[in-house]
Amino acid sequence: MANEKRNVSMPRVLVVDDEVAIQRFLRSVLIAEGFSLNVTDNGAEALSAAVLFKPDVILLDLGLPDMDGVEVINRLREWSTVPIIVLSVREQENDKVKALDAGADDYLTKPFGMAELMARVRVALRRSVQKPEPVFRSGDLEVDLASRKVILQGAEVQLTPTEYDLLRFLVTHAGKVITHNQILIQLWGVAYVDQPQVLRVNISNLRQKIEADASRPRYIITEPGVGYRLTAPG
Amino acid sequence: MPRLSTLYRMVRPSGVYGYIVGLSLVAGATLVCEVLRHFLLPINLLMIYLLTVVLVALNTGLKPAIAAVALAGFIYNYLYTPPRFVFDFFDKEYLVTFFGLFITGAVISSLVNKASERAEILRVREAETACLYHLSRELAVAADAASILRTVVDNVEESIQAQIALFLPNGEQLEMVAASRELTIDLQELDLPVWAFHHSLVAGHGTGLHETAKLVYFPLKTLSKNIGVMAINLAEDSDFSFDQMFRLLEAFAAQTAMALERVNLSHQAEQAKISLAQQKLERALLNSVSHDLRSPLATITGVLTSILEQGDNLTEQVRRELLENAREEAARLNRFVGNLLDISRLEARGAILKKEPCDVQDLIGCALAATERQMQGRTVGVNLVKDLPMVAMDMVLMNHVLINLLDNALKYSLPDGVVDISARCNDEKLILQVADTGPGVPVDELKRIFEKFYRIPVPESIKGTGLGLSICNGIVEAHGGKIWADNRPGGGFVVTLEMPLQAASQEKETPHG
Repeated sequence: MANEKRNVSMPRVLVVDDEVAIQRFLRSVLIAEGFSLNVTDNGAEALSAAVLFKPDVILLDLGLPDMDGVEVINRLREWSTVPIIVLSVREQENDKVKALDAGADDYLTKPFGMAELMARVRVALRRSVQKPEPVFRSGDLEVDLASRKVILQGAEVQLTPTEYDLLRFLVTHAGKVITHNQILIQLWGVAYVDQPQVLRVNISNLRQKIEADASRPRYIITEPGVGYRLTAPG
Repeated sequence: MPRLSTLYRMVRPSGVYGYIVGLSLVAGATLVCEVLRHFLLPINLLMIYLLTVVLVALNTGLKPAIAAVALAGFIYNYLYTPPRFVFDFFDKEYLVTFFGLFITGAVISSLVNKASERAEILRVREAETACLYHLSRELAVAADAASILRTVVDNVEESIQAQIALFLPNGEQLEMVAASRELTIDLQELDLPVWAFHHSLVAGHGTGLHETAKLVYFPLKTLSKNIGVMAINLAEDSDFSFDQMFRLLEAFAAQTAMALERVNLSHQAEQAKISLAQQKLERALLNSVSHDLRSPLATITGVLTSILEQGDNLTEQVRRELLENAREEAARLNRFVGNLLDISRLEARGAILKKEPCDVQDLIGCALAATERQMQGRTVGVNLVKDLPMVAMDMVLMNHVLINLLDNALKYSLPDGVVDISARCNDEKLILQVADTGPGVPVDELKRIFEKFYRIPVPESIKGTGLGLSICNGIVEAHGGKIWADNRPGGGFVVTLEMPLQAASQEKETPHG
C-alpha cells in the first residue's frame, strides 16, 4: 500500500454523488489512502470540476439530481480520457452497460467495501498513467503481445486466432469491465452486436484453455448482464 | 333454433276466402236438397241447411257464418217452403227457421272462434317459451360478457328475425358493444338508449315514448340497477302483434340482464379473492420486511455503538469479531433488499426477461464467485456434462436463482457438509441441480417452501426471509421452466431446475407478472 502511494503521489479524485453519507464515507477512506479530493453532488458542477480540478480519476454516481449520469460521461468523453468509475446499485444492469458503452471505465455496485473501491481506483490510475506493457503477467498466465504467445504455467497454450484476439483485447483492458457490445464490435464488427452467442462460445473455449477450473474462473471474470473483466495482475 | 314466425301463422281461412267457402257449401246443400226434395219433407231439408251452417261456422269466422245463414234462410224460404219460388219474409214459419239457423250459426261460430283463439294463444306461448328456453340454455353456458352478447344477438336474429344492438355502460357513456350486421341507427335517435337507460323505461317505436324512433329500446334491468340497453329493429312486414313481440322481447331483455349480472358478480367475486390474497401477501411482506430489515440493523447498530462507546475497552480480537458480524449482517440486508427488488421486478406487469444465450458453466461460475465468502472453506462440487448447449436465459435473474439456492444449501447444511451442483440436458431441457447434505425438509413441506414468505420451522439461528425460493420459482416459471425440491435418499436436500432449451430461444421476450 505504501508503494502505491509513492507511485501515484497525491493523485486527485473527483467524487460526484448526491448522497451525503456516501460522500462522507468516500472522503474519509480516500483521504486516509492519500488522495487529494474534490466532492460535488451534481452533474453541472462535476463537468466544470473536471476542467478546473483536473482529476486523475472520477467516481460518478448515475442517479444525479440535475442530469443523467450517462450524459455526464458523454460530455466528459468529448474532450477527456480521464478514467471514470461509475457507482451504481444492483438493479441497474442496463444503466451500467449504457455508462460503460458511453466510455466509463469501470463500475462499482453499491454497497461496496473499501477493498473493492481501492482495487478499482488503483486499476484506473495505473491504466491512465502507464502504457500497456508488451508482456502481461497475472498469476500463472503470461501473454506476450509482441510475439503473440500465451503461456500458462510455463507451457505455451495454442489458441485460435479469434481466441487470441479476444484475449489480447481483454489483456489490453486488464482490470476493467468490457461490455459485450464493446467486444463484439471490436472483434466481429457492428453486425454481430445482436449475436452474443459467438462471444459466449469463444469465452467458454478460452476458459477451457487458460483456466485451471473453468467453473471457478480466476482470470476471465463474468460480470452478469454487463460483460467481462480480466483480472489485473498484483 | 325455433322460429317464432312459422309458429305464429293462423290456420283458419279468413276474409274473402271464408265467404267463398260458406257460400259454396250453401250452394252444395241446395243441390243436395234439389235432389232430395221429392223424397223428404221440407222440414227435413232444413236439417241439411242446419248441417251446412254448422260446417261453415266450424270452418270460417263469424261473418261468413252469418252470410251463410242469411243465404241458406233465403234459399230455404224461396225454394222449399210452399209455395215454391215465392219469398215470403213475413211468414212466421220462416222467421222461426231463420232465427234457429242464425243462433246455431252464431253460437257455434263464436265457440269455435274462442277455442281457436285459445289454441292460437297457446301456440304462441309455446313458441315464445321455446325461444326463451333456447336463449336461456345458451346463456347458461356463456362464460363471459362477450359470449353472452354474441348469444343474444344470434338468438334475436334467428328467433324473431329482427335486428338488434346492445349497449353497455363504459364509464359515463353507453357504448354499442354488439349489433346485427345490417342494423343502422338513425343519428337523431342515438340519445334514446341513454334515455331508456336512465329512465328505466322501454322507449321508441310503438311504445308511446319517443314514438318517432325506428327502433325499440329495452333497458336491461337487474334488481338494483340498469346494466345496459337492448335496441330492436322489428321487421316492417312482421305479421305478429306488437304486444306479443313486446312481451317476448322484454323476457329476452330480462334474461340478458340476468346473464350479464351473473358474469359481473362472478368477476367481482374473483377480484375480491385476488385482492384478499394480495392483502394477505402485503401483510406477510410487511411482517417480513420489518423483521428482516430490523434484525440485521439491530446487530449493526449494536456493533457500531459498542465500538463507539467502549471501543477502548475491547480487545482487538473482540472488535474484529464484532465488525465481521456487522459486515455479515449488512451483506444479508443487501441480499434481502435485492430479493425484494427481484420480486417487484417479477411482479410488475410488463416486466421483460432479457434472454440471451447463456453458458451454463459461466452461470454457475458467477454464482460460485458471489457466494465465495459464505463458503468458508466448504466443499462445493461442480459436475457438468461436457458440451452443454447455450441456453436462452436472463443471465442476471438466473444468477440470482443460483445464488439463492447456494445460499440456502450453505445455510441449512452443517459446516462440514458438501454442496453439489450438477447440470445435464436432454433434447428439450436443461436440468440443473443444487444438492446439500443438510437435514432436508419434511415431505409435506416440499411444495410449500416455494410459497412466498413460507419458512419451514427451523431453529432461530438460521437466518432467512422465506423469499429466496419463491423468487427462484417466479424467475424459473417466467422462463417457462420448472423448479421443485426433493429429499435425497441418503439424507440431504436437492432442488432441481428444468429449463426449456427450445421454447426459450423462440420467444425472445416473455412478459410476465
